[in-house]
Amino acid sequence: MPEYLVKESSLASFFQALTQGRRLLAPQGQGDNCHLEVSTGPVSLDYANTHLSPKAVFFPQTEKLLAFHKLADKPKPHQYQDLGDKAEPTVIFGIRPCDAKGLSISNKVFQNDRFTDPYWKGKYEKTLKIGLACLSPSPQCFCAAMGGSPFGEVGLDVLAYPKDKGLGLRTLSPAGEELIESTSAEKADLASEIQDLAKKAIEAQGPLDAYQAIDASKLMDLYQAKHWANTAEPCLGCGVCTFFCPTCHCFDLQDEANDLGGVRMRNWDTCMSQLFTAHGSGHNPRPSKVERVRQRFMHKLKYIPIKQDGVRGCTGCGRCVVMCPANIDIRSVAATMAQASA
Amino acid sequence: MSSVNNPYMPYPVRIANIVVDSPDKSLRTFKFEFLDPEDEKRFEYLPGQFAELSIPGEGEIPIGIASSPTEKGYVLFTVNRVGQVSSFLHNMKIGDIMGVRGPLGHPYPVHSLKGQNIVVIASGFAVTTLRATVAWLLHPDNRPNYGRITFVYGARSPGHLLFREDWEAWQKRDDIDVYVAIYKMVPGWTGKVGFVPAVLQEICPPAENTAAIICGPPIAIKTTQPVLFEAGYKPENIIMSLENRMKCGLGICGRCNVGPEYVCKDGPVFTLAQLNELPPEY
Repeated sequence: MPEYLVKESSLASFFQALTQGRRLLAPQGQGDNCHLEVSTGPVSLDYANTHLSPKAVFFPQTEKLLAFHKLADKPKPHQYQDLGDKAEPTVIFGIRPCDAKGLSISNKVFQNDRFTDPYWKGKYEKTLKIGLACLSPSPQCFCAAMGGSPFGEVGLDVLAYPKDKGLGLRTLSPAGEELIESTSAEKADLASEIQDLAKKAIEAQGPLDAYQAIDASKLMDLYQAKHWANTAEPCLGCGVCTFFCPTCHCFDLQDEANDLGGVRMRNWDTCMSQLFTAHGSGHNPRPSKVERVRQRFMHKLKYIPIKQDGVRGCTGCGRCVVMCPANIDIRSVAATMAQASA
Repeated sequence: MSSVNNPYMPYPVRIANIVVDSPDKSLRTFKFEFLDPEDEKRFEYLPGQFAELSIPGEGEIPIGIASSPTEKGYVLFTVNRVGQVSSFLHNMKIGDIMGVRGPLGHPYPVHSLKGQNIVVIASGFAVTTLRATVAWLLHPDNRPNYGRITFVYGARSPGHLLFREDWEAWQKRDDIDVYVAIYKMVPGWTGKVGFVPAVLQEICPPAENTAAIICGPPIAIKTTQPVLFEAGYKPENIIMSLENRMKCGLGICGRCNVGPEYVCKDGPVFTLAQLNELPPEY
């Protein structure tokens, strides 16, 4: 796909074109305060990453799916009605490649081999995703160690990078191509520059694809390894890792109702919770934090790769490493897993 | 509004009948009729699949389908009263409207078992999907495709044996061997006495060209396996159904996984050979 250039002087009109017929979401703020918000551009490129992953755009923390009423004199009492996906045409500018890859992994869960989640699909397919490549990694970043790249293209329609106070762009999908053609961006040959910048950014990050021993290991060998009790020891079970993770997609379905009617909604849930797997009988297949911590890391580093052609469920965004109150670091857990099974 | 487009949408159903199944009233079998007859056609299922029983305002519970698709006009579910939704359901009445969402999961592999003998082994109220399986196998359209069929079923007491009319009728047939047992003798009982593995040991059909389908509480499944191994059954030919806590039933909400497999979407039916390669998180 071709490359384009947006000069500094054209940035305002470029972002204005992006907002034609759709809303623009872009990172605003700094540090812990950097969030995806509705924007009219131009967008400051001076941020490491958004505090939260962009998953809530497609999978809100709480979302009403169905509604019903209990009024006998009105049609269809006690029957659920679909509230729809509430998707609006959107373009996100500035998704980091780790997060875009995370969305593409979740997309294969929400649109799996048997079922399609219409609430996710509506939003995912009505959203164009413009990534912002990382010229220099943050201390928390390890996308390359997980098999990604600071210039990764997975899950994106367009990849952008800062260039001479303007933008360099590479379109990655027909929809992305159409979008950029509708702006003031000019065609340019940036292939070799992108290649050089990507190489530098990857080299700045440290070890590449560091955990291949896990890929080569048998599932049950990893599962039965002796380190899990130690690995889980510091965990408080707070679930903050799952809240921030761009690929954590677990949810609970709950009804909220009164005498007149109510809704069925879904809320983010976490595998770190004891109740998450508790049977009605009291039996619990993951009764202690040892099983639950093992589940989280096995899911990211073994189960998802088994189901998704080797792609890991961790994209190296580093949020869980930063946020964990007990300093559990998925890189050290992965290294332990790799070592224990070697 | 059909669940073809939205797998979260239940089909509206009317409770057509409720049977109290056990002396302690912990088990009731619900017969549902679809409000829209077209929905019955959309709800195309095979024995071993389950559905979410969906009660507006209360929530959903995943329950195995106890009826066979050869039985038209209704679907059956036997529900144990354990939590919020099942307790609420136990207090609902004939004529009440609720929802059924499904069918979900994979059925027992009845089609790929054609030409084989089948031994069906049920313990306790897990008999439901196995009752569906036997009813399906005995249907005139299906019976000629299978060899010898054996049905072994045990429960705590005569009062805890479900679907008595069905297995009493099957006992009178000559194309199925039926062994029904209670765990402890009570006056008036003329059938077998003992736990399912002991009964199975006595009557276990030869393993050659035979598949075993087992459903029951974990302890029954665990103690039945050695009997089958002793008789020469291979893990590939021992078929089981798992249950785990579920919400979506679609392989998305994340809680019912056993390793990389979701019990809801990839199961609940697994062979023992498959389970031997997976973490025992069920």
